Amino acid sequence: MGDFLKLTNVTKQFQGLVAVDNVNLDMKEHTIHSLIGPNGAGKTTTVNLITGVLSKTKGTVVFDGKDITNLPTHKVARCGIGRTFQNIKVFPTMTLLENIMVGGHQITKMGIVRSVFDIKGQRAEEKMVREKAEEILDRLGMYHLKDEYMKNLPYGRQKISEIGRAMMTDPKLILLDEPAAGLNPSERAELVKVIEKSHNEGYSFFLIEHNMDVVMKISDYITVLSFGKEIAQGKPEEIQKDPEVIRAYLGSAYLEQKKDQ
Amino acid sequence: MSGKKRTRIYILTAVVLALIILLPHVLHNDYYMVVINRILINTIVVLGLNFITGLTGQMNLGTAGIYALGAYSSALFVSYTNLSPWLGLLVAILMGFIIGRALGYPSLRIRGVYLSLTTIGFAEVVRLLLANLADFTGGTTGLKNIPCYSIFGFYFNTQTRMYYLFVVMAAIAFFIAWRIVHSKWGRVFKSLRDNIDAVEMTGVDVANMKIRAFTIAAIYGTIGGAMYAHFMGYINPSTFTVDLSTNYVIMLMVGGLESVVGCLVGSAVVTGLPEILRFLGDYYQIVFNAVILLGAIFFPNGWLNLAVTGVKKLMYRMGIRTAESGGGK
Repeated sequence: MGDFLKLTNVTKQFQGLVAVDNVNLDMKEHTIHSLIGPNGAGKTTTVNLITGVLSKTKGTVVFDGKDITNLPTHKVARCGIGRTFQNIKVFPTMTLLENIMVGGHQITKMGIVRSVFDIKGQRAEEKMVREKAEEILDRLGMYHLKDEYMKNLPYGRQKISEIGRAMMTDPKLILLDEPAAGLNPSERAELVKVIEKSHNEGYSFFLIEHNMDVVMKISDYITVLSFGKEIAQGKPEEIQKDPEVIRAYLGSAYLEQKKDQ
Repeated sequence: MSGKKRTRIYILTAVVLALIILLPHVLHNDYYMVVINRILINTIVVLGLNFITGLTGQMNLGTAGIYALGAYSSALFVSYTNLSPWLGLLVAILMGFIIGRALGYPSLRIRGVYLSLTTIGFAEVVRLLLANLADFTGGTTGLKNIPCYSIFGFYFNTQTRMYYLFVVMAAIAFFIAWRIVHSKWGRVFKSLRDNIDAVEMTGVDVANMKIRAFTIAAIYGTIGGAMYAHFMGYINPSTFTVDLSTNYVIMLMVGGLESVVGCLVGSAVVTGLPEILRFLGDYYQIVFNAVILLGAIFFPNGWLNLAVTGVKKLMYRMGIRTAESGGGK
């Protein structure tokens, strides 16, 4: 079996600014791998580089044994990578169920002409997609809200629904870009529950997060970025003690203060 | 579905069919039939526009160009080859396919107002070319003596005959549009309007999907244009101005975006209202535009929506419906 998700020397340069600088990352299957770092460290840029939203200046990305370095976004998605967004991107004028069902478009086979004239076949296909979407909503605990319009749902629900939409494509890996940002503590607890449950069901997650309680609770492995450079890798306990990480987050003054004690 | 409900639906369908068939014999007036035929043609064009502007949410102000190319490609083909207008219709469909691809590509890079300007530009280029390529298109004098549709020697040469033909064509167009809008395709088109990045991340080829929406719309537009040419028997470039494009957008707004039935309502209101207001003489434009403007302010979801809510309220008042019986759909 090849590599699950492997970034080699990935670099992104915006004119003079090197946003992501020679990042190497090796993620194992069936794990929750977190990418953390102070603001502006290049975390979201890294996700955009993996999903092909931005082109890479240098480096390669391999997913599931396949080189996806230069694939356009929709093809990356078809390889089995789902994603949620930092600033939620949902379809506000559609119902929750429809939002999830859009995720299922790609798994259906019927062409446009056939779906117009093959009334029975189209109904069967639609039923399959709807049942799958309903099952996912049930797992996310939002089945009772399925006919609500997205714009009327609270922020936390909208965010979790993005995970559901990503799951419709049967991804092997889901990239979560700050899923807990803007959620209140109880919503955050619910999110953690959803992620852990899905992880036990076999999903792998690549998580970008600022909320340390979330990250430390659920991550198997952590990579830390600062100013585009990777400064540490390891298990949560190791990262918490890593002096480089503490310096990046709290400044060197804090470290010295700690040493004095 | 209960048996009782099914019977009711059958009765309703029978009544509507009877009305459609009897309409020309009840009206007995060629002038009304002309208006109704134009409503049917416009409905087809608006059904197409609904895919671009209604579902994927891109303001297309170039419908007149699409419509003109449909009318001219069919009419010119028939007048140069003396073949059946039905083959002209096929040429128009092919033309629609080409326009859809060609207009779809700029829409991938240009959004919002800029796309509207691009489509206006497209329509104007088409109109000016048609007016100035006089040797080929007949120029500003237009094309005369365009033959009408016929099947096995039966000519659709009166308004009533054309009405029956157009009802069938509009019904087919309506059926196809209904099936597309109420399927996974309609859903994806709508999601493109709401958030394009999110759709792309679910593995949908967004560029391809946008071009598809444009292509369907252009094919509907060119079919409408071809029908118009063979219905009027005479076309000239001055018909296909920006005013016409704007009118189609108004029809879509009046009917309500996304709604397939709304396309029929919008086309009927915008095509029919000026005829009803004709007694006002020179003032009809003012009244017409005021009505449309007030409609846009007070019923932004379209007149159809308003009518549906109104009928529900009325039925509730009359005691036919109870609050519990709900919306039905």
